[in-house]
Amino acid sequence: MLINSVIIILREVLEAALIISVLLAVSQKLQLSKQWLVAALIAGLIGAAVYAINLKMVSMAFEGSGQEIINANLHLLIYGFIFFLVAILKGKPYHRLTLLAMTSCVAVASIREGSEIIIYIHGFFAIPDLFLPVIIGSIIGMGIGISVGVLFYYLIVNMSFNNGIRLVLFLLILIAGGMIIQATQLLIQADIISSQLPLWDSSSIIDERSLFGQLLYALIGYESTPTATQVYCYITSLILMTFIANRTLKRFKLSHAS
Amino acid sequence: MKSIRTYLLLALLAIITLVTFVSLLHGYQSSITKAQQLFDERLRNLAEIIANVNQDIQPRTTGMPEHSSTVFFQIWSNDLTLLAHSNNVPNQLLSDLDDMKYNHVNFKGYRWRIFTLKDHHLDRWIITGEREDIRYGLAENIVTASIIPIVLAIPVAGLIIWWAIGLGLKPLRGLSVQLNNKQADDLSPIAIENLPVELTQLVITTNALLKRLNAAFVREQQFSADAAHELRTPISALKVQLHNLQNNDHINEQEIQPLADGIERIGLVIEQVLSLYRHSPDQAMHKQSDVDIAIIAQQIIASDYEKIATRHQQISLVSDDHCLLKGNAFALETLLHNLITNASKYTPEQGEIALMIENTDTGVRLIIEDSGPGINETEYDRVFKRFYRVDGDQHSSGTTGCGLGLAIVQHIVDLHSAQIKLQRSSTLGGLKVVVDFPQSMMGST
Repeated sequence: MLINSVIIILREVLEAALIISVLLAVSQKLQLSKQWLVAALIAGLIGAAVYAINLKMVSMAFEGSGQEIINANLHLLIYGFIFFLVAILKGKPYHRLTLLAMTSCVAVASIREGSEIIIYIHGFFAIPDLFLPVIIGSIIGMGIGISVGVLFYYLIVNMSFNNGIRLVLFLLILIAGGMIIQATQLLIQADIISSQLPLWDSSSIIDERSLFGQLLYALIGYESTPTATQVYCYITSLILMTFIANRTLKRFKLSHAS
Repeated sequence: MKSIRTYLLLALLAIITLVTFVSLLHGYQSSITKAQQLFDERLRNLAEIIANVNQDIQPRTTGMPEHSSTVFFQIWSNDLTLLAHSNNVPNQLLSDLDDMKYNHVNFKGYRWRIFTLKDHHLDRWIITGEREDIRYGLAENIVTASIIPIVLAIPVAGLIIWWAIGLGLKPLRGLSVQLNNKQADDLSPIAIENLPVELTQLVITTNALLKRLNAAFVREQQFSADAAHELRTPISALKVQLHNLQNNDHINEQEIQPLADGIERIGLVIEQVLSLYRHSPDQAMHKQSDVDIAIIAQQIIASDYEKIATRHQQISLVSDDHCLLKGNAFALETLLHNLITNASKYTPEQGEIALMIENTDTGVRLIIEDSGPGINETEYDRVFKRFYRVDGDQHSSGTTGCGLGLAIVQHIVDLHSAQIKLQRSSTLGGLKVVVDFPQSMMGST
């Protein structure tokens, strides 16, 4: 059970930690206050608890696929906030909007990932034999996830302004792609998008359940057996986000050159 | 502000956690595999013991041994007749008969690990099995018990790292404390014991800078002292020569008056420029003491009285007892001297000058009013600028000045964190100067 707990908790924590570290690095680069994070985390954790408590009601909704549909929508919301953030990321006039987008993004990500963690760990309260391995596994998963987040944060913060912003935009494009791929996966599970045969199976090269696979999952939304719809949505999102990020980058260069 | 200590703690802890936990996971997986091998060995031993102890070659009908529900055995003849079995297992063959092979089967709602052994001696097959979940649980409990201390050690490591970084940064803190505690005029080199290599260059450069700064200050002090001496002497000589000229009957006094004014003005400029230098912040403020500004005012009036009297002006001083200020006595003397001289200079003969010094709720207030023409409100800001004179050199009073008096006053006011305001005097009609010294600059009584 220990290894299962590590994988499940790591998957959730790593995703949230990456989003938080990248956005925290953005506020550091743009010299914004970092207090938004506290507000976002508190709001996110309360939201996650409310979600977990009402899980039964949620799953019953939409003919039994409520959980998938709501989770897919949370992913799409995170995608929307990242899109908005990448589009407005520049100079002082947008600082308040930037803070708002970052707070909302982290709050929604915390609801999504936090509720998964609460639901998972809560399930083992009733099984004392498995509780200890699950808790130890969860701590290890959280430890690895948070550590990767901290190192990513310091990596970006210690870069020069231009390279830092470039890396931030690059990571945001990838994370947004990951959100889209997860949303489509959940919508396929909810039968809203018709399921197809996977385009390929790369699990023998990179196993989704391995540590590296988990890192890729959190970073670029890696799936070892993606369907054509998922690949199509992912590539569309990448192209769209790259276009928007390029415009933002040009604005940065202009404002720096002037 | 970025903290080196927080950065090092978080970065180190993240690296340690990452490396430790990833190797823990690898260790966990190989330990579980090892434990599984041990359990497999046990299953095989069990099969061999059964083969040796049990000699059945005919099927048993009674006396099936009671077994715990987590382990089972079956004995099959070569023609697939069940000879004996524990009572927790069905009567059918669970897997293909393959000598010395491990396998997995499902029955009774559980997954079982089984081992098949060929008993060549009695030509039969022995199958032993064990519940997989129990095996895994046992193995996991053993491995987890060894993992827990390592996981719990991470916060302890965090505390120790925090302490160790603090220790490592001690010379840096020592350096910043020394720099912070340095008096404004203390340009002595920084001395730190056991200086780490990383700070050596910084301290060497800072000390070299301090040395250069010190040399520059010494030069400046020497310059003002030399300048004062070297410039005053020729001016005194000029004044003596002028006096002799004035006593000479052949010379028209009207003609040499501009010369007299010029010499007077040069003298004044030199005095004021030197006093402006003497009141640079780091020169003046470290010679602070408690001074009674009312007493200083009395002394200045006494010393300037002769000039005031020659212009038939009246001067009055009204003050509270003990108007104590924390400040530089020489600077405050200059302030009062400049303000009183200014008032006298621009007040016509027979005019009136009034000084008032009082303790207020917010500190000490000094007011000087005169019955002169005053200053136009639009000029209030400009008169504090260096070398600025109202109406330029053609001042209506026709007095000699260099435009530095009020600039010096402003400078001294700033040094004492005070506020200066110019107004029109409602009682005397001329200029009213109000200087408010804050409570923080008040001396102890």
